[in-house]
Amino acid sequence: MIEFLYTNAWGAFIVLLAFQIPFLIVFFHIVNKKAFADSAPSKTKPEKYSAYRHGWTALVLVAFVVVNGASIKYMPTIVEANTAGDKNIKDVQVTALSWAFQFSESEFKVGETVRFKAKSTDTVHSFALHHPDGHLLFTMMLIPGAGTEGTLVHTFTEPGEYTVRCLEYCGIAHHAMKNTFTVN
Amino acid sequence: MSAAIKIIDKVPFFGGMFRVESNELNPVNAWPSLMAMTSFVWFAIAAILGVSMPAIQFMELGSNWYYQNITLHGAAMAFPFVFQLMAAMSLHRAGACLGKRADDIFVSLFYIFMNVGALLLTVAVLLGFHVTYTVMFPLPVVGVMTGQWSMFTLVLGFTGIALVLTSMIFIYPIKILRMSFFGQIDSTLQVAERSMKDPGMIGMVMGALVLLVTGTPLMIVAGSLLLHLYGIFPAEWIGWAADAVVFEFVFYIFAHNLMEAMAIMIIGAVYSTLPLCTADGSRKLYSDKIAILALWILLITSVTSFFHHFFTMYPALPSTFAYHGNIMSFATGVGGALTIFTILATIWKHGIIPTPALFLILGGFVMYILDGVSAIVISNVAWNFKLHGTMWAGGHAMVVLIAISALWMGILYYHYPLMTNRTIDDSTARSCIKYFFISYIGLLYTFLAAGAAGMPRRNGAWESDWYIFGAFMLIFGVMLLYAFVLYFLSLRKSTALEY
Repeated sequence: MIEFLYTNAWGAFIVLLAFQIPFLIVFFHIVNKKAFADSAPSKTKPEKYSAYRHGWTALVLVAFVVVNGASIKYMPTIVEANTAGDKNIKDVQVTALSWAFQFSESEFKVGETVRFKAKSTDTVHSFALHHPDGHLLFTMMLIPGAGTEGTLVHTFTEPGEYTVRCLEYCGIAHHAMKNTFTVN
Repeated sequence: MSAAIKIIDKVPFFGGMFRVESNELNPVNAWPSLMAMTSFVWFAIAAILGVSMPAIQFMELGSNWYYQNITLHGAAMAFPFVFQLMAAMSLHRAGACLGKRADDIFVSLFYIFMNVGALLLTVAVLLGFHVTYTVMFPLPVVGVMTGQWSMFTLVLGFTGIALVLTSMIFIYPIKILRMSFFGQIDSTLQVAERSMKDPGMIGMVMGALVLLVTGTPLMIVAGSLLLHLYGIFPAEWIGWAADAVVFEFVFYIFAHNLMEAMAIMIIGAVYSTLPLCTADGSRKLYSDKIAILALWILLITSVTSFFHHFFTMYPALPSTFAYHGNIMSFATGVGGALTIFTILATIWKHGIIPTPALFLILGGFVMYILDGVSAIVISNVAWNFKLHGTMWAGGHAMVVLIAISALWMGILYYHYPLMTNRTIDDSTARSCIKYFFISYIGLLYTFLAAGAAGMPRRNGAWESDWYIFGAFMLIFGVMLLYAFVLYFLSLRKSTALEY
């Protein structure tokens, strides 16, 4: 479950709803009650407000710490750093330019771990890899002159045709800047 | 009679919404009314362009139309609509609360720079300068080199952008700071006295300072480039400014904090207005101290959370900055949580009068919080790599502007009787709020779901899987447009106040 939440963009959507729905319910309940059902001043004691405030702030802090703490393992920056020096990883060079991608390799095997090293030669582009079902596996923003190549490690776990796109608007043929990887 | 009143009187349809009587309050009413009216003219154009984008895809009119309309739509919504509306309402509020004139040279210069700049940019875009509202430097220059648009359109477009930025980064903040801290108080203008200890006033000053401080580096970089384009600065002087990394960073430090400044300012305005609508007539927030603490947390955490725009350029953005941006982005949520508590505790403690003005403000606040959650989720480093550049990010930028506009439109409802001596049409306003909220919810979840499904933002050729999201964008976009038409009608159908 935790793996799904952090390795699939729909996981982010689920967490989003987990934050938003309770807020919506509480907010509309209070507004409805104090605007229409009983708008008289509340008799709630001041110390209760204080207790609610502390409880609410603590709940938010704990939720934020848990959500971010659990994500550390899945941060691409951490994954990439943990694989530094691993000789089993295949290095693949990616060059982005208006409006095409150049790859040193474009066919991979299931289970293969690849370190993509990407750069842009003209304007701001991105190197974004989409799963065969359409969702985004990762994107890398490439700014020319950034001083170093972008790097990211990815393991292909399923066969299929993966679409590579530029997700940073780069001019009038931006939409045409795409290519494919084949994973067997 | 004020020049602003004369202009309002001559504008068809929109002029009727903001007709101002000539009286002793003209110094705080006339120019803000003109600015608000002009912002809605820009909105009308931008909204049609917004709805046209999914329509262009369905009718297969071509990507060039799409990129033209996305550039115009984004630029018009963010600057001459939302920012100008915010400036109008905050100048009116500051004037009426502090007893200072809002009709001096700063206000007229703001109006001219903002609207002439936006017009020049519009002309440049119509001539082919399709860079999107985030500019994406060095694309404007690369576009000239690759024949996508001409050098003339680049100079015209940059001139327009420079005028708009000057109005936002220098003229407006300096005017707000002058009103807040300097000058003589005119008691005839001071309709509702407030001190600088008031959370509403503090929020306004914080917002102005954020714009001035975070915008100045962008003005230096963009100004250097523009002076080179005019032939005044030689190329060797501006090499540093033409560096893509330099430009992108100063741009996003400002662009990110522009949204935060507008958010801090509007939360301050909510803190000012909510107590005026309490059922027990107490005119108090639950706690001014907690409200001010929330503003400080939002201010301090938001400034450096801009790093979340660059997480995916690892390792050019060192991990330490990425984690800092991640933590600070979530820390803004702590400020948000205290704001939620202050608003709800005020409502619970004092009760509220369910006026259209308050309901549009509270609806806008809910929209702002819902969007804030989408913003902090995408500010987690792990999720950012899977969502950045998708419709999730585009949707966040759009719905935060919708939320801020709803909040200021609610504030405008509240101040409308003072500004125009008329009262809005209540039933039309209530219908507007319903459609506004439903369309917002529809657009929010459509864009976020599209992003989760991997649909790219700013892509002029949709693939078949994406059209289902496009259909919902069109439906809810038209509904939002209808909500705005109802808003206009609620002002058009306003009636004279009876004393």
